[in-house]
Amino acid sequence: MSESDAALVARTLDGDLGAFATLMSRYRDALGRYAFHMLGSREDAEEAVQDSFLRAHRALRDCRQPERFGAWLFTILVNRCRTSQRRLFHRRRFSEELRDDVAATADTSSSIEWREEIARALAGLRPHYREAFLLRYVEGLDYAEMARLTGAREPALRMRVKRAADQLRELLRDVHAG
Amino acid sequence: MRDDFDEVTDERLGPVIAELRRPVRLDPTLDQRVLSVLRGAEPRSGARRGPAAWAGGLMGAALAAGLLFTVLGREPGAPTRPIELRLSAPASQVMVVGDFNDWDPAATPLRPGNEGGTWTVELRLPPGRYRYTFLVDGRRWVPDPAEPRAADDDFGAPTSVLTVS
Repeated sequence: MSESDAALVARTLDGDLGAFATLMSRYRDALGRYAFHMLGSREDAEEAVQDSFLRAHRALRDCRQPERFGAWLFTILVNRCRTSQRRLFHRRRFSEELRDDVAATADTSSSIEWREEIARALAGLRPHYREAFLLRYVEGLDYAEMARLTGAREPALRMRVKRAADQLRELLRDVHAG
Repeated sequence: MRDDFDEVTDERLGPVIAELRRPVRLDPTLDQRVLSVLRGAEPRSGARRGPAAWAGGLMGAALAAGLLFTVLGREPGAPTRPIELRLSAPASQVMVVGDFNDWDPAATPLRPGNEGGTWTVELRLPPGRYRYTFLVDGRRWVPDPAEPRAADDDFGAPTSVLTVS
């Protein structure tokens, strides 16, 4: 049976970096996926995830519910991505990043074009629509948890998810799964 | 839980969601890079934060300040002014997040005062305009009742705006 998050947090606070490494390995994929789709660039996603881990370690004593370390860590990442989003006024590099990403995997079950179309459609959403859609349907959070993470009220989040879904359907109207 | 649409039967978005749920590979050395930074920051005595950690933090702050100057016209080297933020709320923990701390919910705690339910923190900020909000008990986002609400919050969280002149 794997060690609980709370136990790993306690060991980390006692100076055991191995315990923190286990926590990182437990959450890095989920964090990486969210950051990549939110920011549209693997480089930016890696920077956001790395920074979130460092911030989490620095402030671990403030994690009041260590058994919910994952949710606390995700709050740090969501805010970190918002900060990046606020700063990034330059053009995104979706196509290049996606080609790299697909090339780095052996999985050819979906075409590069299909993934590019999805990335373009996501990039076409307003950031808070994209955020809500990803948290709800990719990360699988319920609306109460989304409200806690984002500070937005549940009705507003439901509206954002719906509008994001409507816009994605429209943007992908003529695109077929690869 | 089914809410706004049924992702299973939604012909157009079902495959999109499935695609987005696929793993995204990050640099496999990322964890090691984080550990390297932490090893450099952790003194062998076991004390929580060594000088290297503070140096890293200061470098990060300097970088953040540089970016803020680029975006918002704040000058990193400008003289700072002491600013006290205060919130009255029944809580076991209050943090402040904003432009001045990179919206890091783990960076800036408020201290509980002698009066019950009053939390304060003193910041030193160069002149500029800052958006911020309080995070109460890690789940409730509360704007500062003493300052005007920001009209340009991109993500819909209740946000205040502070102008330091």
